[in-house]
Amino acid sequence: MKEKKFWSPYLAGIGLGLTLLASFMIAGQGLGASRAFTVVAGAGMQSVLPAYTATLSYLSKYLELSPLRDWTVLEVGGVLLGALAGVLLSRGFQFRFDKGARLSISTRVMTAFGGGVILGFASRIARGCTSGVALTGGAQFALSGWVFVIAMFASGFLFAALFRRLWS
Amino acid sequence: MSAPFILTDTTNLVMAVFLGLFFGFFLERGGLGSPHKLTGVFYLTDFAVPKAMFTAILVAATGLCLLSDLKYLDMSRVWIIPTFFWPQLVGGALFGMGYVISGYCPGTAVAGLASGRLDALVTMIGIGCGTLFFAAIFPLVEGFYKTTDMGQITLPELMSMNHWVVLALVFVLAGLMFYAMERYEKRGSSSLPK
Repeated sequence: MKEKKFWSPYLAGIGLGLTLLASFMIAGQGLGASRAFTVVAGAGMQSVLPAYTATLSYLSKYLELSPLRDWTVLEVGGVLLGALAGVLLSRGFQFRFDKGARLSISTRVMTAFGGGVILGFASRIARGCTSGVALTGGAQFALSGWVFVIAMFASGFLFAALFRRLWS
Repeated sequence: MSAPFILTDTTNLVMAVFLGLFFGFFLERGGLGSPHKLTGVFYLTDFAVPKAMFTAILVAATGLCLLSDLKYLDMSRVWIIPTFFWPQLVGGALFGMGYVISGYCPGTAVAGLASGRLDALVTMIGIGCGTLFFAAIFPLVEGFYKTTDMGQITLPELMSMNHWVVLALVFVLAGLMFYAMERYEKRGSSSLPK
């Protein structure tokens, strides 16, 4: 099947772990992702609605520097290019909507968007996502990382049972 | 000289791109740009996420224990993710819901987009909107957001254990989990069509 084109997840995990370790050694911090969305979305809103954006106290610390001087924005830019290199090596590039077999494209657009809104909101409450809290915090044995991982998997199993139709 | 190395701002930003390149490459090679593989763990059809994630945690954690004990790495200069117990428990649970519905998380959506998945792009736009919604209603959630601030606490500190003991426990737990998943997959592949 299609899955054969991927590496063993253990091998990919070793690569991810060494990359994370290198990040601690070089930059003194782990890897992140959701921060980049906050910086870019905040900067986008600032350019469209500058007066309103200035009233949002939460965003001020994310808008101090230009997005192109933000460490996590550049790291996530690297993620896009690195993943693209992997895709091109396996000739897997194709524009498409990836979805469960029983979903229409319009339903998939709604689940992709709605799920994304929940992810964005949840990442801000938790102060990070699977990269910045679960993976980075988990490897540091930070309590934060393990609380997040356990809550995420427990809730994932619950909602997967409720939303079986999405991915079957 | 011990790590983390003191870099100029610009050098550190160049390193961010390089680290991201490897991060994205390994995510994609592990199949973690595919929403089917990403949600497979919850339907017991594909365990790539917990396998890759806990392998990565074990590798990086072993490196941190070893390099800090050998004084090659000064952990006091590494940013430890702070704990806000209830916000991270509730945020993690909400995150799990968004993960199942969208089929991605923020980093893997970027990897998914790299292979041409337009639904991943839609999820990325959704993440941006969810973030701005949080910022817009921040005064309403600020109280909860700041509750149960436990600082940069780690499990070895919390349990008064040496970090090698905690590492051994995580190895045992992950090992048992990997063993169970391999057994389940072997049994599943003979009876269930993939």
